[in-house]
Amino acid sequence: MKKVKIITMIVLIILITMVSFFGVYTQVQNRMENQVRNYALDMDLDGARYVRLSVNKESTEVIKDANGNEVETDEEMTDEQLAENGYTKESVPNNSEDVLTVENYEKSKKIISERLESQGVGEYEISLDNETGDILVQIPENNTTDTFVSNMNTVGKFEIIDADTKEVLMDNSDIKLVNVMYGSGSSTTSGTTVYLNIEFNKEGTKKLEEISNTYVESTDTTNTTSENTTNTETENTSTDNTTTEGNTTENTTSGETDATEDSTETTKEIKLNIDDQEIMTTSFDEPIENGKLQLSMGSATTDVDTLQDNISQASSIASVLDSGNLPIQYDIESNEYILSDITNTHIAYLALAVGIVLLIGLIIFIIRYRVNGLLSVIAFIGLVSFYLLVIRYTNVSVSIQGIVGIIVTIILNYIFINKILSTIKKSEDSKKLETVKEGIKESYREFFIKLIPICLSVIVFCFINWTTISSFGMVMFWGITLIALYNYLITATMLKVKAEK
Amino acid sequence: MKQFIKSKQLKIILMLLVIIAGIVMIAVKGFNFDLKYQDTQRVELYLKTEFNISDIRQITDEVFGNQKVMIQKVEVFEDSVSITTTSISDEQKSNLITKINEKYGTELTAEDTTVEDIGHTRGRDIIKPYIIPFVVAVIIVLIYLGIRYHKLSIAKVIAKSIGIMALAQILLFSVMAITRIPIGRLTIPMVILVYLLTLFGITNKFEKDLSKKKLDENKDKSKKK
Repeated sequence: MKKVKIITMIVLIILITMVSFFGVYTQVQNRMENQVRNYALDMDLDGARYVRLSVNKESTEVIKDANGNEVETDEEMTDEQLAENGYTKESVPNNSEDVLTVENYEKSKKIISERLESQGVGEYEISLDNETGDILVQIPENNTTDTFVSNMNTVGKFEIIDADTKEVLMDNSDIKLVNVMYGSGSSTTSGTTVYLNIEFNKEGTKKLEEISNTYVESTDTTNTTSENTTNTETENTSTDNTTTEGNTTENTTSGETDATEDSTETTKEIKLNIDDQEIMTTSFDEPIENGKLQLSMGSATTDVDTLQDNISQASSIASVLDSGNLPIQYDIESNEYILSDITNTHIAYLALAVGIVLLIGLIIFIIRYRVNGLLSVIAFIGLVSFYLLVIRYTNVSVSIQGIVGIIVTIILNYIFINKILSTIKKSEDSKKLETVKEGIKESYREFFIKLIPICLSVIVFCFINWTTISSFGMVMFWGITLIALYNYLITATMLKVKAEK
Repeated sequence: MKQFIKSKQLKIILMLLVIIAGIVMIAVKGFNFDLKYQDTQRVELYLKTEFNISDIRQITDEVFGNQKVMIQKVEVFEDSVSITTTSISDEQKSNLITKINEKYGTELTAEDTTVEDIGHTRGRDIIKPYIIPFVVAVIIVLIYLGIRYHKLSIAKVIAKSIGIMALAQILLFSVMAITRIPIGRLTIPMVILVYLLTLFGITNKFEKDLSKKKLDENKDKSKKK
């Protein structure tokens, strides 16, 4: 019975080792495919998206009046028309020479870093060429990479302007913070609504209150006998005390014939622009005194994909606005995925080196501890195999630090097994079951007490939002957990069964 | 005892020497940064076919001589190569292109190939993400050590732990500066490794001290009885 127990465990270990090191292959169409999940690799091992941002050197043509003020016009004016109005056409560089300073380059780099961090990019590298101002960003390649890339060179200019006069009422300097909030739909709609929450600073709060008092819908009622044939279609959005509906609603006012009383709605509206792109036109129903503006992104939805899109859109805007506007306009010069210079061959060499060292260590076990050593070696191989499977299936991102974590775990397990075996060997009657049990118990107590500070550090590292360090934390966490559990269930059992024999 | 003191003194002198040499080296030459974190130049060449990095390495060895070179495959089709090195002269560029054309039958020209300048990554940017995790971890560990080994005097335990941890890291960076091991992707793993080793060593030492103290206390008690 005891023999069967040991043989069963050995067979199980061989099976796990086969799966872990060689995989499970099934036929998919005309080829064999390994069904064991691949390791999730980080940027250092898997390669990265290299985004090169270069300073925009283009110019924009602007029309200026006789006093040198910029004239905004939607129409394309001919040279004759310009001359008639006394206007001149000038070519103005998008980045004037006075903004192209090292301070602004540094500021841009810092803002891009903040944007990446606020969007939860777990790992990135950023370098700046101080002479040209060019910035090279490396970020991991995944489904969200393109969204991050699109936000990198967004200037992030926030403006609330008067819809008629175009006067700038508020800008980035008034913003305190921008984040994303969620809320359940209204009484008429179900689902979740995503809000972009803009909180203004002290000055901004005052300005917003003034604006919300000024830009309101007002109704003038006049008696009239004339025929009213107005049919206006305006795109506008409604704003209540704290909520502005971002999705536009059509408000159609159909005129009534033979009306004796005519209501004229005069609405002073504001426009909310980001990077000169109009996000919405709105007016206010009530004054906003708390300095918070919540803009709904899309309508309330129960559809997960739509919700995810809304969240992603809101997060992008929030991250861009929250980090401030780029002082320099950048262009994406190149955007490509470049593989790591650490190739599979390098990793294979490393694995081989670790394997050889481990093999020597395990042979020493067998020589020093004989049968107990042999059983521990078998269990050890099982632990390494099982550990590698756990790393694959717990989706731990493996980085160089993670590889170090794996090696440290193997070393720790070696120390632990050596401790158990030497404690048993030191005892007077090492073949007695009680001695083995006592040896295992003592080794567990002594080893894990010494490991507590490492465990505490590992737990802290697990919660860090930086892939390389969390990779180390996670790899070590699973490693230490396995050392405790696996050795209790397998190694200790094998040694006990052997002692019983 | 005398021998022990002597060996302890010798250790301290050796450590001080390493640290001083490291400081001098940093002051004179600074750290040696890995190519990935230096001011570099890069060319990207479209080879139209999959290639072996070792073949490209052979060519870059001939063209760039002793210069450090980083070779990477580009995009999913892996038919373009990115070659990064400290600097690429016009002569090296045309030489490289000629050799690539010969090897892969491409028709690349030096005129159409641009050399990109890549700014360096600052050391502080490399270590920035690790500062908070390490500070938090060290604080938690120190609290634990203070509680667990309070019998050895909390202040002493904490001071010793901070001292040993700091000394170990200073020694590591001194050795890196002296031996010119580049600051790069392996630096943080080395820092972590030294940190873990230090933690293991500190705990081991305190455990021994604690059991010794307990033994002494028991002896005293039995004597009193």
